[in-house]
Amino acid sequence: MVNCSICGKPAVYVNRISGKAYCKKHFLEYFDKKVRRTIRKYKMFGPKEHIVIAVSGGKDSLSLLHYMVKLSKRVPGWKISALLIDEGIKGYREYTKEDFIRVCNELEVEYRIASFKEYFGYTLDEIIKIGKEKKLPYQPCSYCGVFRRYLLNKVAREMGATVLATAHNLDDIIQTFVMNIINNSWDKIMRLAPVTGPLDHPKFVRRVKPFYEILEKETTLYSILNNLYPKFVECPYARFNIRWMIRRQINELEEKYPGTKYSLLRSLLKIISILEKHKEEVIQGEIKTCKICGEPSAHEICRACLYRYELGIMKEEKKKVEELIGER
Amino acid sequence: MFYSYGVTKVVIIRIVGGSKEWKISLGQERIRVKELLEKIGLLSNEYVVVKNGQVVSEEKTVSDDDEIVLYPVVSGG
Repeated sequence: MVNCSICGKPAVYVNRISGKAYCKKHFLEYFDKKVRRTIRKYKMFGPKEHIVIAVSGGKDSLSLLHYMVKLSKRVPGWKISALLIDEGIKGYREYTKEDFIRVCNELEVEYRIASFKEYFGYTLDEIIKIGKEKKLPYQPCSYCGVFRRYLLNKVAREMGATVLATAHNLDDIIQTFVMNIINNSWDKIMRLAPVTGPLDHPKFVRRVKPFYEILEKETTLYSILNNLYPKFVECPYARFNIRWMIRRQINELEEKYPGTKYSLLRSLLKIISILEKHKEEVIQGEIKTCKICGEPSAHEICRACLYRYELGIMKEEKKKVEELIGER
Repeated sequence: MFYSYGVTKVVIIRIVGGSKEWKISLGQERIRVKELLEKIGLLSNEYVVVKNGQVVSEEKTVSDDDEIVLYPVVSGG
């Protein structure tokens, strides 16, 4: 039997690093302090902001929305809105969308749903099918990640966001860190900072990750204690991703050696500060404007437009891409 | 400990949403949630545990007749 280290009531959570136990009330206080410390430490928000929260309808993003709405009540200059990207994944997104709308209504938050179908003309399920038929070498998560990030930036900007907050937690961050080490992708590791941008591009919305130092177990507990835990629905494409295996390995290490996850995060922050000093070696060239769609891009044509071209789901701009590719 | 097939007292462990269920008889044994999960091959940092309707830490003890519901921490997508 473990009791709260502060008040002696039954514990709902034990921090395995400090050994401290927390009851429901004191866990929520611990959680709040930890997120506020993260926000302050990395200077995520100013006194006047329109914060758009990227919400998938999963437990982490619903928790972030819930937390930020509560926090914003203490900051008069903040406006909170929510944005959900509907990729069009049958048997998955329709359920998380329901939870999203319910929570937005309960919290009285303005929201926007932007779909792949609306912006690209096809759902993710259709895109994956086309990709397979054309024998393109991409995994489902590649299309999804590129198109989702593209729309998050574009639609958040259209909504008037001064900052876009995503619910990436400590576990997500270190998993991506390890994946990028495996891929030798140091430019992507630089983007794993708690605050990214504003890059030198007027169309890029600054991004922050308020759950950067929060374990996924803690965000899950927050969601359960606040009645936000959704029906457990798993993306049907998730198991095709290498992340699934890396997550299991890191969790096994954490079980045997508590503190492994925080150590990995410290390593990440250290390497980001080293890489910042060698930016030119890591990032090739300045941020550009995609010659097809006008959005920020690392290359002359952004990844989303290249995918659309390769998939053959681009109409008017097709010739322009061919001209540009020919120029190279 | 043995896996129960009859009317013996057991701990019932379920993953929320009902995708999996285990019935385990502990007899006189009282073990921690963390150890119970180990017995069925699960990692305690991958689940939030609800025992008889109350969220508990992984250090809480469990015995026969308890009902455990596991909320997965890892989500896909």
